[in-house]
Formats: sequence, structure tokens, C-alpha cells
Amino acid sequence: MSDCDALVIGGGVSGLTAAAYLARAGLRVIVAEARNKLGGACESMSFGEGFHAPLTQTLYALDPRVVKDLKLNLKFAVRDMALTGLRADGKHIVLSRDGAARSIAVHSQADAKAWKRFRRELFSLARDMRALWWDEGTFSVSRERLEPFRRLSAAAWLDGWFESDALKATLAFDATENGLSPFEPGSALALLWRASQEMCGLQGAVAALAGGPPSLVQALLEAAKVDIRTGANVSRILLANGAVAGVELASGETIAASIVISSASRRRTLNELLPTGAIGFARADSMDRANPKTGTAKVALALSALPMFAGVPSTARFILAERLESYAAAYSAARAGRLPDELIMEAVTPTAADSSLAPIGQHLLIASVRPVPLAMNDEMKAQLTAKVIAAFARHVPGMHVVASEVLTPAEISSRYGAQDLKMNVAQMLANWDERLRTPISSLMLCGESAISGRAGRIAAAMAIRDKT
Amino acid sequence: MSLRATPFHARVAAANRGNDWLTRNGVTLARAYDDAHEEALAARFRCVLVDISWRWRVMLEGPHVMEFLGRLLTRDVSQLAPGQALKALWLADGGGMRGAGAIARYGKESFLLVSTAPDFDWIARAASRFDVGMREISEGGLALIGPHAGAILQAAGIDFTLEPLSLRKTFWRGLDVTLSRFGEQGGYEIWRDADDGLVVWDRLMRTGAPFGLQPAGITATDILDLEAGIARPIRDYAPARDGNAKTPTPKSLGLEILIDASHETFNGRAACLAAQETKTLVGLEIDCETPAPFTPLLHNGQIAGHTLTSLYSPALRRAIALAQIEISASQPGTQLVLTLSPCAETPAFRNITARVTDLPFVSAPISQP
Repeated sequence: MSDCDALVIGGGVSGLTAAAYLARAGLRVIVAEARNKLGGACESMSFGEGFHAPLTQTLYALDPRVVKDLKLNLKFAVRDMALTGLRADGKHIVLSRDGAARSIAVHSQADAKAWKRFRRELFSLARDMRALWWDEGTFSVSRERLEPFRRLSAAAWLDGWFESDALKATLAFDATENGLSPFEPGSALALLWRASQEMCGLQGAVAALAGGPPSLVQALLEAAKVDIRTGANVSRILLANGAVAGVELASGETIAASIVISSASRRRTLNELLPTGAIGFARADSMDRANPKTGTAKVALALSALPMFAGVPSTARFILAERLESYAAAYSAARAGRLPDELIMEAVTPTAADSSLAPIGQHLLIASVRPVPLAMNDEMKAQLTAKVIAAFARHVPGMHVVASEVLTPAEISSRYGAQDLKMNVAQMLANWDERLRTPISSLMLCGESAISGRAGRIAAAMAIRDKT
Repeated sequence: MSLRATPFHARVAAANRGNDWLTRNGVTLARAYDDAHEEALAARFRCVLVDISWRWRVMLEGPHVMEFLGRLLTRDVSQLAPGQALKALWLADGGGMRGAGAIARYGKESFLLVSTAPDFDWIARAASRFDVGMREISEGGLALIGPHAGAILQAAGIDFTLEPLSLRKTFWRGLDVTLSRFGEQGGYEIWRDADDGLVVWDRLMRTGAPFGLQPAGITATDILDLEAGIARPIRDYAPARDGNAKTPTPKSLGLEILIDASHETFNGRAACLAAQETKTLVGLEIDCETPAPFTPLLHNGQIAGHTLTSLYSPALRRAIALAQIEISASQPGTQLVLTLSPCAETPAFRNITARVTDLPFVSAPISQP
């Protein structure tokens, strides 16, 4: 029986951030990571000869306060990756911070005119959203402006602004976070949420770390001087008198702790780790129903040369989605367990700015394809790779693929422990108490809100405040 | 399409002189065979035979059944020996009452739940989380209620020594039957496969004839229920059906005694214990013979609550009612006023006085099934 003040389940960014804050408050902290390696979604997959493809290629929500408080020493390879729609007809849309209107005008003059107003409106709404997501209780916000967005889909909102399908399809990708469809009510909130984040001091920016996300994990490890146990798979959370008492590992070992912070998904924490029925039957049922049916697959291509697209910077993030309707078709196919005819994906070439990820002279192209079915057989995986290669080969004549690797959503969660988090529209406008607290006292969640560390910071602060 | 009848339907139909029917839990039942008030009195002085096949009965079994029931029910069943039973409630997450029933230990890993209102989806869904199997049991059930019940069973050749709130499987002249005593006081229930229902009915009626045994319908048993002061789901209150419902609270139905606060795991516990309830269940003696169901009650000119089921009690010779009333006006003896709607006898609204009384109304040694 080992003892500690607080136990953190999962050694990813959220878990390590929570652990660092708990340790700063003077608590004895143990981090229990099921795998033998830390990082979770921030790991790299190695394939081919000397290629390291980060599972998460872009960073868009890292909490600046975490960076400041923990004095994380981070080096960015790219600070602001321009959202770019790669079009079949070659009229690519580059939505860079200043040149967007010119690029949009190729498709529609009206949209180019509306763009500035759209950005102002988006960022103004995002400021309201930001108050709900940044800190707890520091702003008193009126949610009135955001309330209508609960029922609004991203597709409908974009339809109201623009006429060009090319532009709408490109913008809609950011609303497809974690199994959400841009046609789902409330998905417009996902767009606002993305816009409310900031990276490197730029609102709504998407950045890439030098060395990939593993360097973030490394920085957090240096900041968090805590007891880290790898290979410690938490199989149960133990309760006593309705409050959390510790955890039991798959090995049978128990660790007593008066605070448990879990970076596993809400569903896994409450329905699988807690004793059956402990959170209430109705709540358990509603959580089961919220299970996502689709996910994101990763396809990494090792290339002999950096792929270049006409008029597009190599450090951009490329969206492949021809029309807004492509999303609807893709979701219905993925939900039915089929690979969509037209794949929707976001791709980056991280080696354009960071040569450490591939052997000298060679390059990586990593595509996040979604939606796809959660599990795929080998034939579907081969098909997926072939389709991704074909989608880029049409723009890059003579593209030579040295090696490739594909991971299905099911493989990502089983191999890297990354969770089936579904973007919960109902929680977008909730307060942090609703997002992080559970019906069990002293059991907190910190796996919410993507790789930001923010949930870890706030969960730790709440747990510390509860105890004192 | 055929009638949804009980295994005793052929005999019930023959005995139902007024051809007076109703359905409960989707089953066709005799409302009254002849005179409901007479049937209710017969249960007090002789004995009546009641078809209770409409009761919802489910068998719950599996290695984790104890853990499951610890989560489901408001009282701890782990100390029950096989054959013993207790009454308990089950609640929604928000503390609202979903159901009430008797839970009996059948075997090492099997329990029988009996209730007057079904709640299949909720219990089946929860049971599946514990890999607990659940199946509905459709046996024919007959209740013997009245002072002669034991004597009739003895004359029929059934060993009737059985503690209240217990059950026993027994062999009765070639038939395997289950004998139980889940009723509030006295009374016996006999359960048998549907195919042999008529044999059981005939045997009991024949043996019971010298004791004045007669069949009694649902109205008579409702009167006995009411006299015993028991609020029933659907008849008296709408049970919670939303998983997060906060109402009806057990306290508002006088059922808080079925909640064991020291039992730590049951669903809805925190919400139930924290709930602030201003009303409670009382009995009401109405100063007339006309029942006043679901009628507002005035206390010092202010509405202080309302009646639930109200019926004429042949034992008390006046109308009585269950009522939900503000705790401040719930002292026995408190005078209340209610307004009766016009009827053929008195074609005008009239104000009637009523008094709060302790429950049960009648504590005579009768049983209700």
C-alpha cells in the first residue's frame, strides 16, 4: 500500500499539467500511466527508416498561463499555420492572417468582401467564449450572445456568411473536432471555441512545436517533479463513504489517495473505472449514448521531397474538402462503417520547418482523416492510404512515397491511450465546475478541451481549494 | 386478437355477476364481482379470494445480483436469508421515486421483485451493467385475505405456518406452488404456473365454501389498501419516469421509512437525503359518504394540500382519503375543508369538513395483497 495526497491518472499533457500544479501546492503526487511511455496523444509514431510522425501535428489551445506558471521552455517551428483549402481545380484558398481576401476573391468577390466582417464577428464572439474557457470565475460574462449558437450548426452559420462552397468547406473543418459533424446543432460553437484559443500570442492561431509535441511532454516533465509510475494501469477507482479513496491497478496493487484527477475521458472515468452504478443509472446511460461513432485516422507518408502546392506556403495546414456537402456524405458513410468516397482531411508537412523528424532531405506528410469508422480492417486501411496518396499526387506530379503508416481511431486509442473524447456541445457553454467535477467528491476530470493543459491546471486548483 | 386475461379468467368471468371489468398493468380484471363494499367487509370478517396475477414480478439472478440490488434498492438486502423478503423503494438519480416493492431472496444468487407497477426498462438497463439476468414471471397468483385465510389453507392441506414477509415453495397435492406473505398484515398469496390456475382456484373455492370464502374485485382491494393507508403508484401518484426526476419524493408519500440512510450505495441517495419536502402523507376522514379524489384541501382558508385516492370505507361508514398536505397542517385532528362537485343528489358545490387522522385507518387483522 503506497500513499500520496493526490493521484493523477494518465501521463499525457493534461495529467502532467495537473500533477505539476498539485506538486507546486506542496502535495505528494503520483502519476499513474498505463503505458510504458508518457505523452499519450503527444507521442510520435516511428516508421520507415528514421521517420517520426507526431500523433498530434498541430497545437492550437495550449494554455499560456500553464506555459508561464510552469516556465515551460518551448520552441516553436511554426507560429501561425495558415488554414488552406486545397482545391481539385488548383484554385487553392490560403486564409493567412493578411492575404486571405485576395485568395477568396478568386472564388467569390462577395465572400472576399464579407471576410473582414466575418473575422471581426468571429473574434468578437470568441471573446465571449474565451471568458467561459480561460479562467474560472474571473469574468462575469453574459452568455446571451452565445446561447443561439447552441442550436446552430457550423454549416448553417457559414452558409449565412458566404456563397462559395470552397471557402465554407475549408472553414468547416475546424468544427469537426472529435466526432462532431459541421451539420450537428451546436457545432458552430466549436468554430468559436477554436477562434477563442490563442497560440504564441495570436488569437485563433495554430502552431507547431520544434521537435513535435514530445518536446512539450519533455518540458512538462522537467517542470513537474513528481513520482511517475509507468506501466501502472488503473483498473478501478476506489471509494469510501461516497468520496474517492484511491485507485487499484491492474496488477492488483492499490494506491491510497484523497484526491484523484483523471485525464481519461469522462465516460471511461465514470462508467468504467468507478464501481458500476456509483454515478447514478440515468447518468451512466446518457454517457453511453454520447459515445462517438466516428473518429480520426492518421496517415503518415514518408516522401523523398517536400510537396509543394502552387501559391501555398509549405507551413500551412491543408484542408481537403471539396464541398460542404462532402462532410454530410462522409459522416453517413463513416457511421455506417464504410470509408467515405471523398475523404475529408487536414494535412501538414511538419518537416518543412522542422527537419529533425525525418532523415536529411526527406519529408513527412501527415494527414488527419475524419470522419472514418472507429475500426477498420487491413483492406480498408490499405484503401485509405491509397486514397490519401492519390489526393496529394494529383497536386504534386511525381510524388514519391518512400514509406507509409496508417493508424485507425481504434488503434490510436489502444496503442497510445488517447481517449474517445467527443466534443460535448452541451459543455461548450458550461462552467468549469460542470466540465471537471464528477458526482464523486475529490474526483476530478482533466482530459477535457484538447491538448491545452488548461483543464489540468483548473482541476488541480479546484482540488486544492476543496481541500483547504 | 384475444383478451389479455389472467389464468383464472374462466372462473372470474363466471363469478362476475355484474360483468364489471377494468384493466391494470394491461390485464383484464374484475372490478367487482357483485357488491364491492360487501366484498371489502367480507375480507374483514370472513375471507376473500383475489386474483393478483396482474402484479409485476421479475426474477433477478447472477453472481453480481447482490451488488446490483445494493445499488438499486433503498434498503440493504444482503442480510436476507433465502425465503425472506423486505419492502424497499428504487429511486431516479434525482431522488424521485420510481417504484416500490417487495424483494425476496429466492436462492443464493437470485431475488424476486414484486411490485404493483412495472418499471422494466430502468431495472433491466441497470441490471445489464452488472450482468444480472432479469426475466418477468407470468404465474397465476391468488391472495387469500381475511381472518379465516389460515384455516382455509389448513383445510386445503397446505402447511400455512409462514412468517409475514417471507415465501416458501411447497408441494400441494400434486402441484408445486409458491406460498408468500408479502401483504401488509396477515393474508397469503399462492403462485402457480398459469396452466394449472383453474385447479388452484377450484380447490380453494371448494375448501373455502364452508368458511364463507368469496371472490373480491379490484375495488374491494383498493378499499382495503386505502384503509391500510398505503399510497400506490399510478393509482395515487405518478412514479418518476425521467432518470433525473426529483419528484415524487418518498417523504411526500409517507414512504421515508423504507429508506435506510445508513445504506450507502443506493441510486439517488444523496439527492433523496438532501431533498427538502414540505408535504407529507396523511389519512383524511371526510364528513360525508361521497368520496373526494384529487381535491384541493383548505386549512384556515389557504390551500394546504390535496387528496389522492378517496373511497367510501364500509368499515368506517364514511368517505376516507389519502392526502398530501403541508407538514404544518398534518397534525392528527386538524380540521380541513374541501369542496365537493355537484352530483345528482346535491346539484350544487358544497363545502365539507374533513379531519386529519393517523394511518392506517383500520388496524384490524386483515391483510391487503
